[in-house]
Amino acid sequence: MSLLKAEDVTVLDGGAPLLQPLSLHLDPGEPLVILGETGSGKSLLAQALMGTLPPELTARGRVAIAGRVLDTGSPDRFRGLWGREIGVLPQEPWLSLDPLMRARAQVAETHALVRGLPRGEAAARAQADLAALGLAGAERRYPHELSGGMAQRVAIAAARAGGGRIVIADEPTKGLDAGRRDDVASLLLSEMGDTGGLLVITHDLALARRLGGRLIVLRSGAVVEQGPSRHVFAAPQDAYTREFLAADPENWSARTPWAGMEPAVVSARDLAVSRGGRSLFAGISLRIAPGRIFGVTGPSGCGKSSLGDALLGLIPPDRGTVTRRPGDHPHAMQKLYQDPVAAFPRKRSIGQTLADTVAVSGGNSADVDGLLDRLGLDPTLLGRRPGAVSGGELQRLSLLRVLLRSPSFVFTDEPTSRLDPISQARVIRLLTEISEKDGVALMLVSHYAALIRNTADTVLSLDAAGTAAISEPATFGTPVAEALT
Amino acid sequence: MIVIATPQRRRAMWPAARIVGAALVLIVALLALLGSVVVPGDPFAQSLVKALAGPDPAAPLGYDHLGRSIFHRLVDALWLSPVIALAAVATAGSAGLALGTLAAALGGWVERGLVILADALLALPGLLLVLIVLAMVPGTALGFWAGLSLVLWVEFFRLTRAATREVLASPAVQASRLLGFGPIYLFRAHIWPEIAPMMLTAAAFGTATAIMAIAALGFVHVGMRAPTPELGLMMVELLPYWREAPLALLSPVIATFALLLGLTLLAGSRKS
Repeated sequence: MSLLKAEDVTVLDGGAPLLQPLSLHLDPGEPLVILGETGSGKSLLAQALMGTLPPELTARGRVAIAGRVLDTGSPDRFRGLWGREIGVLPQEPWLSLDPLMRARAQVAETHALVRGLPRGEAAARAQADLAALGLAGAERRYPHELSGGMAQRVAIAAARAGGGRIVIADEPTKGLDAGRRDDVASLLLSEMGDTGGLLVITHDLALARRLGGRLIVLRSGAVVEQGPSRHVFAAPQDAYTREFLAADPENWSARTPWAGMEPAVVSARDLAVSRGGRSLFAGISLRIAPGRIFGVTGPSGCGKSSLGDALLGLIPPDRGTVTRRPGDHPHAMQKLYQDPVAAFPRKRSIGQTLADTVAVSGGNSADVDGLLDRLGLDPTLLGRRPGAVSGGELQRLSLLRVLLRSPSFVFTDEPTSRLDPISQARVIRLLTEISEKDGVALMLVSHYAALIRNTADTVLSLDAAGTAAISEPATFGTPVAEALT
Repeated sequence: MIVIATPQRRRAMWPAARIVGAALVLIVALLALLGSVVVPGDPFAQSLVKALAGPDPAAPLGYDHLGRSIFHRLVDALWLSPVIALAAVATAGSAGLALGTLAAALGGWVERGLVILADALLALPGLLLVLIVLAMVPGTALGFWAGLSLVLWVEFFRLTRAATREVLASPAVQASRLLGFGPIYLFRAHIWPEIAPMMLTAAAFGTATAIMAIAALGFVHVGMRAPTPELGLMMVELLPYWREAPLALLSPVIATFALLLGLTLLAGSRKS
């Protein structure tokens, strides 16, 4: 008996179909993963199944949940199911918790209001829920006192407290590092158990692989391939699925190691940085040569980004010195940001921002056209605002903007952590190419060890305690004595 | 299975409240601008014979207790308060904008000093502050302008400072700085587009506050002096005759109400 059965679900924008008719069923104890790149319509599918589509979009099709058959065209009917039958785990759950409410109260509220339990019992249930998720002792903390992983568990407890057996998770691992991603996967699986249903929407191949179950691959609103995860991962039938799987950094071919000692574009000696009074790392020495990629990896909060900011002079180091190559122009050190939308003026068209950059760097507007071509970008994107461009394209536009300044060093801070694998592979390929051809020194920061391993010439691994190890990927794991702390 | 398609609900560009607000302000403005062109007349000419008389072609809203045309006094009054209010808002807005941006950008002692000054002014009742300035500055209109500017800039300052601090801390500004853009560009491309809508809202509210303050002080005989036609003064002059000439009293009341409501609706219904 399926927990949820959807037949011919379609999403339309006016007359134009955004999602082709699609049928699926969700069985107890078997996760269903919808895999697709940004813009493939996977989130629209989830919204249609929950009845939360934006009002300008219409849905068609039938959904059977808990013995009731509902029409996705009349989303108001779905309201009664929220919490009781379907629990929704939103993207970046720490943003969906009430910042002024303690952890237990967030969960107890669902027990009291959705299930209608008396206050005392609701609090006791919430306490038990949190303890079951390993959060005993944290029930009186506010969201800002919880780590990202703990906040995620509180959000799951709150989503499940209404008694919903089906959990729908939309990109549950967005912006998480590898360790936390595995935690989320095991948490979702254990929450599902043998009787619950789990529908996960993601572009994260590692998550999809860990969850197992069944897999649906979506592309531009149509199903490309579906079947048991194991089979799809082992022997993808469709060309697009193969491309998608090949875009996984785990499957990239490693870079040929570097031998040579050009003068460094930027170097640091005995660098120590602290943030908010807490020491992040100390005694790091490094040198980055032109055309080379210096990778930095480590768990979130270990100070990867602060290291780059210190090299750029954005934050003052506690100790140590940063030396730039003499003769470089003052704006030759640039940065690419994790969230490209936040790195552009919000209310200005991208073309305008690029024109401003051309003006300030004394170039001419033909440079933009040349770079658009080189980065494979459509010139019509220039008329849009940053919010209306996809993450992958916008990250390439940020790269374009930085290149207009003819940089000698670019610090790329998690440039692909919000992108789907295909866009990620494309951005990284472009970065590598530009670094080689233009002789730009790159510092690539990512929590994704495989990505760094297969891209960088030299890798600096930081851990949460602030210990650093520098290695060449060819001898990954064995530190090079000369460059050490 | 009945399929009911959800009707297309698209958000209108201008919400209804804002259209009503704009219409009200427009009507009052047209009255002020064209009133004496359509019906020529003198707001100061007295004719005691016609005291408290009803409307006639030369005075469409009747006469007050001294036989002056209410219509022409109203048209004049609807010039006076809005012009003082707009001048005060313009001064306060530019001062608040400049000081707020400066405080956020410089930080340190400049910011602390300005914040203390703004908080101190905020602790004083606004009307009292206007009264103090009125007592010191020669000329009532000039006094109102100076006093109201002094009261109103605090709001603009606080808004600008809060928003600018946030914008300046954003990655977008960091990126622009790395690219070599100067402070003028940062203001033009990053700060102004974010605070402009807030500033317009604050300006509409500020204008309403200023008009109300002028009317309130006029009503208690400490603002504009007779015989200047002013909304609050007209109300208090006509109050004793409410039984004999209700239309005469209601005219300034309705005009003030329409103007304030219009400004408030215009300011309050910002697109979310």
